[in-house]
Amino acid sequence: MSAVLHAQPESGPALGVAGAEKTRRVLSEAVMQGRWWRFALILVITAIVLVPIMVTVILALTPGPNSTATGLTLENITGVFSKTLAGTWLSNSLITTLSTVIVAVAVAAPAGYVLSRGRSKAVSGYSLLLFVMQSLPIITSVVPLFILFAGMGLVDNLLGLIIIYVGSTMTVATWMMAAYFDSIPISLEEASWIDGCSVFGSFTKVVLRNSLPGILSTAIFAFLLAWNDYLVAIVFLRSNEIFTLPVGVQSFFQQNLTDWSGVMALAVVMMLPPIIVFATLNKYFSVGGIGGSLAGR
Amino acid sequence: MSSTTTQSGLARARRGVAPGGSGGGNVNRKSKLSGQTRRTFFWLLLPSIVLLILINGYPLIYAGVQATHDGSLIDTGNFVGVDNFATVLSSPAFWKAAQFTLWFTIVGVFGSWLVGLGLALLLRTKIPAGGTFKVLLLLPWVVPIVVSSTAWNWLVATPDSLIPSIFRNLGLGTPLFLADPHLAAVMVMVFKVWVSFPFMMMMISAALASVDTTVYEAASMDGASKWQQFTQITLPMIARSTYISWILMTIFCVNDFPTIYLLTGGGPVDATTSLVVLAYRSVFQDFQTGPGVAIAFLMTLTLVVVSVLLYRQIRKSSVE
Repeated sequence: MSAVLHAQPESGPALGVAGAEKTRRVLSEAVMQGRWWRFALILVITAIVLVPIMVTVILALTPGPNSTATGLTLENITGVFSKTLAGTWLSNSLITTLSTVIVAVAVAAPAGYVLSRGRSKAVSGYSLLLFVMQSLPIITSVVPLFILFAGMGLVDNLLGLIIIYVGSTMTVATWMMAAYFDSIPISLEEASWIDGCSVFGSFTKVVLRNSLPGILSTAIFAFLLAWNDYLVAIVFLRSNEIFTLPVGVQSFFQQNLTDWSGVMALAVVMMLPPIIVFATLNKYFSVGGIGGSLAGR
Repeated sequence: MSSTTTQSGLARARRGVAPGGSGGGNVNRKSKLSGQTRRTFFWLLLPSIVLLILINGYPLIYAGVQATHDGSLIDTGNFVGVDNFATVLSSPAFWKAAQFTLWFTIVGVFGSWLVGLGLALLLRTKIPAGGTFKVLLLLPWVVPIVVSSTAWNWLVATPDSLIPSIFRNLGLGTPLFLADPHLAAVMVMVFKVWVSFPFMMMMISAALASVDTTVYEAASMDGASKWQQFTQITLPMIARSTYISWILMTIFCVNDFPTIYLLTGGGPVDATTSLVVLAYRSVFQDFQTGPGVAIAFLMTLTLVVVSVLLYRQIRKSSVE
């Protein structure tokens, strides 16, 4: 931008048509230069930032030290599925994450609706309570929940994990949903009330139907939390065949420090779902966003 | 803002616009409808309340019980009052971990903010393929920590890893990034900034998107320099979002477990042991439930204060 300003001749209009043409060319060049300079800068920064991710992909797709294959290969990935419980871990992770997403949205959407529409003392008190709870360190709840769940047979059980994930996602998810519902005009609902619809009816038929972006951004948030969690999983999961991917990857990594190809193959499998989710649903997340929803209220 | 939003739901329902109502001035009908709305709201809120009590409320109370007892994971043990807190507060390990947590948080918050701000500003200008870069730069935040910590390990852990080898070939010696206490502490913080800057970038980008660009044109007409425009327009415009993101990131950093634990395990010689790692170790490795939960409790108290302050700030600024 400053380059543009400098390139502007003091006596621009006085130079006549040729001068004006030249000025325009100089200007557009300056703009292009500015753009390419920035392009180069962001390219270099992005390349450096992505080194760890590129390294993971490269190691996963190139033949390991004991391999006869050449060029790019999927044998590390197929190998890790045949040698370890990767398939079981993957399906455990998928079951846990998808259940968390569905239940978290099912709990947070109605609660968010009440937070958005009903402004009584009790409701704003509950809103504050949710907000305080989201900042609590999970380590505080892990020990008491471990004891409670041990008595209920929920330790080393995916259901136990799902309950904790829903509990810890729900607080922020409710706020995100409430922030989204705030953007849906109440007049839409009023029209349905006049037609004889109940509050519950207008919530499901009018509000929910118009809330796909809000629901998706909440779902992405829950998905990331459940898919990536490590702390709750290592405390609550004990046996190999109940592991979710984070615990599986970590245990495999510790046992096979030398098998980098295998470890990285599993790592690539683990990072694909969140990348796919983000690549396809990115625009919805930027609409909601955790921070955005907090800032919006 | 609040004056219009508080006018919603219940208030309107009371005025009689609510379900099944045709407006009307019948007092009995109005109060009945309001009660009906209230009941609906209660049922909509119920699953959330049950979960909050079970997963968040109950553990907090039980943690209070454990923090004042000398038991283990299996047995609550005897009531010992504030003994656990006294033990924790008088142990050098606690203060060392608290100090590390403080530095980790300061570097984590401001490091990721500065990087996020720089990139958000850069991406705001027209750049070819800018949207693609924006998505690519989110990857460190999207990729699971287990994956990225494994990759970072591969890059720096041993003298023969990629980055130490590059240093050696440049004649800079062979730094032991995870074996040297100081370097390991720096490494964990760099890793945290790497993980967190995309979140800051998103927050700042969202705030920047709402700034009216004509303000800048007017300012540059008046002869304001780029730096003046930055400090006098950009920074004030994103101040609220910045404030919120600092406090959120503080909560994320203080509570962070996997970033530290997966990269260094808290070592070498406890150099990167944060309060969460210390609490985790006390409970699940040393089987000392009381002191471990006491540490978690002290963190909880700090964070509750921080988050109530944040809530007030959000409330205040949405009233303005």
